[in-house]
Amino acid sequence: MRAVRRAALAVGFGVLGAILLRLTGASGTAPEQGGWRELRGDDLR
Amino acid sequence: MSDHPAILVVGAGTVGARTTRELLGVGTDGRSAVGSVSLAGRRPGRLERLAASFGSSVTMVDVSERPIDVATADVVVVTRAAGDQLEVARSALAAGCHVVCTTDDLDEVRGLLELDELARSAGRTVVVGAAMAPGLSCLLARHAASLLDTVDEIHVARAGAGGPSCARQRRRALRGSAIEWRDGEWARRPGFSGRELVWFPDPTGGSDCYRAELADPLLLVDAFPGLVRATARLAASRVDRVTVPLPMLIGPPVEGAPGAIRVEVRGTRHGARHDVVYGAFDRPSVATAAVAAVVAVALGAGDAGLEPGAGGLARVSDARPVLRELARRGVRAAVFEGSRDFGVAEDLDDRVD
Repeated sequence: MRAVRRAALAVGFGVLGAILLRLTGASGTAPEQGGWRELRGDDLR
Repeated sequence: MSDHPAILVVGAGTVGARTTRELLGVGTDGRSAVGSVSLAGRRPGRLERLAASFGSSVTMVDVSERPIDVATADVVVVTRAAGDQLEVARSALAAGCHVVCTTDDLDEVRGLLELDELARSAGRTVVVGAAMAPGLSCLLARHAASLLDTVDEIHVARAGAGGPSCARQRRRALRGSAIEWRDGEWARRPGFSGRELVWFPDPTGGSDCYRAELADPLLLVDAFPGLVRATARLAASRVDRVTVPLPMLIGPPVEGAPGAIRVEVRGTRHGARHDVVYGAFDRPSVATAAVAAVVAVALGAGDAGLEPGAGGLARVSDARPVLRELARRGVRAAVFEGSRDFGVAEDLDDRVD
């Protein structure tokens, strides 16, 4: 009985962890090239 | 129309109030660009509060128990919640006014585009989707297209929402069914599908974006008949996936969170493939109000660069004057300058020369 409870508890924590991971996601890889520059007068003239 | 048009703003919510304030701003010559500004709303208490803020410079019109009288206006700006703008636009057009709508509701945008024939025959313009996206995104798409010889793909992404009504509309869009233009025909895709990591201007940065029931592709295909692909995506978190189907229990901040847009235009230049990527970062309600106000003033003065008819801002002949005025008002766009392979830097260098 104790083993069943432990197994159920482990599954429960696993599910909780999976939900947490699913909701928070993982950080992506930042691009290393390029960047944003504000449009200046020349760009809009 | 006169150089100083009478403008009626219908809808006294977050965007309506900000649009009114933008309309009261001075033009490049340091003088007011409008003859008069009226603000119509259905909540007397809200109008009283706004009247205390605006003073006598704005005429408050309570339309909670009587219909809107548009007869004295040259331009009507509709800032009601998306889905509640079509009837106002129709009656304003019938009264001979130019109309500026801020809606991004797909069905409503379709309905507004159907006013095209009526607007043409009346010699009036109905601007559909004068918001951050669609709106500013359409202007940026037009400007980007002017750097290319041919345009075949436009991809728009948006993050954030304006006031509470806009936040509700965002959730409806994620629950709905997206339309995409692919090889000359419309394709339907389920909302919250097609996850794509999109890089917005800083400080928004990278954000997962999903398909949603957005009107941008409809307006872009209308303005660029030769498009092969047009898509729009909405930034959403994984928490949104869980909460979007549920009723909104906690209201969003009144002014909404900061938002951003990204517009990627692909085509050819001098026979080679080129992409131009533009973006903007601002509070969506602020950007929407500025776009609606600037376009309304330009329409009233007759120099918006839009032919009579109903369509989005991508129809403008030249987006630069509006973008310049928006920049002067603090709504600034940015260009993504990638590596040489990306093509953008070369484009701009060529053009500036």
